[in-house]
Amino acid sequence: MDPQLTEVSQQFERFKAAFIRKDFDSCTNLLSQLKVLLTKFTSLPPLFENTPNAAQELTIARDIYEYAVVLSVKTEDQDSFERDFFQLKPYYVDARNRIPSSPQENLILGLNLLRLLVQNRIAEFHTELELLSSATLENPCIKHAVELEQSFMEGAYNRVLSARQTAPDETYMYFMDLLAKTIRDEIAGCSEKAYDHLSVSEGSKMLLFSSDQELLTYVNEEHPEWEVKDGLVVFQKAKETAPCKEIPSLQLINQTLSYARELERIV
Amino acid sequence: MTQDVEMKDNNTPSQSVISSSTSTMQHLKEIAALIDTGSYTKEVRRIARAVRLTIGLRRKLTGSVLSSFLDFALVPGSEAHSRLSSFVPKGDEHDMEVDTASSATQAAPSKHLPAELEIYCYFIVLLFLIDQRKYNEAKACSSASIARLKNVNRRTIDVIASRLYFYYSLSYEQTGDLAEIRGTLLALHHSATLRHDELGQETLLNLLLRNYLHYNLYDQAEKLRSKAPRFEAHSNQQFCRYLFYLGKIRTIQLEYTDAKESLLQAARKAPIAALGFRIQCNKWAILVRLLLGEIPERSIFTQKGMEKALRPYFELTNAVRIGDLELFRTVQEKFLDTFSQDRTHNLIVRLRHNVIRTGLRNISISYSRISLPDVAKKLRLNSENPVADAESIVAKAIRDGAIDATIDHKNGWMVSKEIGDIYSTNEPQTAFNSRIAFCLNMHNEAVRALRFPPNTHKETESDEKRRERKQQEEELAKHMAEEEDDDF
Repeated sequence: MDPQLTEVSQQFERFKAAFIRKDFDSCTNLLSQLKVLLTKFTSLPPLFENTPNAAQELTIARDIYEYAVVLSVKTEDQDSFERDFFQLKPYYVDARNRIPSSPQENLILGLNLLRLLVQNRIAEFHTELELLSSATLENPCIKHAVELEQSFMEGAYNRVLSARQTAPDETYMYFMDLLAKTIRDEIAGCSEKAYDHLSVSEGSKMLLFSSDQELLTYVNEEHPEWEVKDGLVVFQKAKETAPCKEIPSLQLINQTLSYARELERIV
Repeated sequence: MTQDVEMKDNNTPSQSVISSSTSTMQHLKEIAALIDTGSYTKEVRRIARAVRLTIGLRRKLTGSVLSSFLDFALVPGSEAHSRLSSFVPKGDEHDMEVDTASSATQAAPSKHLPAELEIYCYFIVLLFLIDQRKYNEAKACSSASIARLKNVNRRTIDVIASRLYFYYSLSYEQTGDLAEIRGTLLALHHSATLRHDELGQETLLNLLLRNYLHYNLYDQAEKLRSKAPRFEAHSNQQFCRYLFYLGKIRTIQLEYTDAKESLLQAARKAPIAALGFRIQCNKWAILVRLLLGEIPERSIFTQKGMEKALRPYFELTNAVRIGDLELFRTVQEKFLDTFSQDRTHNLIVRLRHNVIRTGLRNISISYSRISLPDVAKKLRLNSENPVADAESIVAKAIRDGAIDATIDHKNGWMVSKEIGDIYSTNEPQTAFNSRIAFCLNMHNEAVRALRFPPNTHKETESDEKRRERKQQEEELAKHMAEEEDDDF
């Protein structure tokens, strides 16, 4: 066996041991060493050279990056998640014909979808979605994320929250918690427009607070414009479609001048 | 030529066939002459015309005509000749005899061979192979032509080269190996950019976009598109394709308004004959409009030749228009095959949200006050907790401005607000302004699109120069006439 490959796999074993011990600091150290070692393999993307150990090297590199992604979830580092995922992606897409697909693949893809959803990067979410085959879309990990996005778009927020229980893997929890925060803000925004007032107890239930006190602090911090009186939260509503009282003269002048200029050009 | 005449005499039954092939041959020779002049005087216009004429002849091409044309245009025994001839099947015995005989007489005159003519031969052979559905041969032939093209750098070749790129990609697409040539196409685009070959850039950019979209690589496609140099379109067809791909990318990335604009423009600019392309554009445009919350007019679905293809989309539109989730689901299942074939399935999944919105809007218009359980029932929300779902859905619709209502949480009612008088707001004025802006813009675009024949204003070309050029042309004509004489 190739000495470099042996070194990498030994290091990787040490990494896995540390990972199981939940010793994430030494994991991070070992990981950066591993990444440096991986640069020596020419069979990896973007070169894809056909070396004799290509398949083994690709597989081990992919496993390492998969662990890296999961590690970044555990350490709650979204930036490194993004980096590691992009390094991992070529192994799923371009190396598809070279090595057998990984059992972790759908889990990781689902995680990534969830991350995009949490960061509200819906366009990228759909771009990723297009890359998946219809069989993959049926996979529980992927389906979970897809359904979340749908409920989110529709506004069925309690469906999003109940999806926490059906999360296919414990690594999903980190993002689901983040999502819950996003959703609270969404609900608050919607309630502000949809209700004239809400009782405090109803409000705290709707905004997923365990006690009325939490709601009151939330209102103070995030929405000081809401008024709390007589056990009611009163939303101040801006009058939007109020009949126009003033003529927007400056705007009209600008428009008329631009018409005149264009007409001048035509005639 | 003499051989052909003889053949007519002793071969009466297939006379019509022969005579048509003779005339095709005649046409091809004219085209070759055109290319010759084009390359001599460096006039791209002539080459472009030659390519256009060839497309007209496309259906009449046969193996025997082609091989005799190759003998005529290329030096027999040369590398290009032997390579190209291997792709062209020989006709029956009789024809072959004629070919060899005529090639013998014609070998002498073709002493100066412009690169344009050689590339043109590649082009016409490729065209023939693709029409015969011999895609594997076409792959080999086009790869050879691309390799040859790398060594020539002449603006007069650009027109033919861009066609070659197109068929190169087409032959690989037909055999399903599109991913293989991505690197080559990128390299070609690179060199086309360096050579200021704008037509080539345009074609190659489209081919690359097509290549990426074929594998749903929207991210890469958008990155390339946004970074590739843009300039005014040279070819309407390429521009249409570009708009279509752009529309697709934008749809996936949820920029529906821009996507709609590109797709509709693509459908409008496409030539009438390109029915398949227009159907595709329309399908996507319909979906984008639905996603925007618009309902496409009925006339779109009854366009000539499209009724059948657009039928699934018509039913889909109907479901969205009524706002019936159940009907939407049935349509989705009924045409699942069509939708996954068109690769629009994911977009249709996105539409569910619009169906709910429309349904909700209908409810809010019809009722001034309705209980939330009734809303859930009318929307046919099938979930464990329909009332809570309905409440948050309504809340979101209110926030997004889809309906104008409030929720009374204590009683579980949705109360619609009175519709205000729209003419008391600035709304009509903005609408009017946007229409005027559209018209003015249209006028400006039309003015910009006016084309003037080249050199009309350049009367300054000195008389002497013109005389010189005339003389050259005359000489060339004489030269060619001599060649013709030799034939007879």
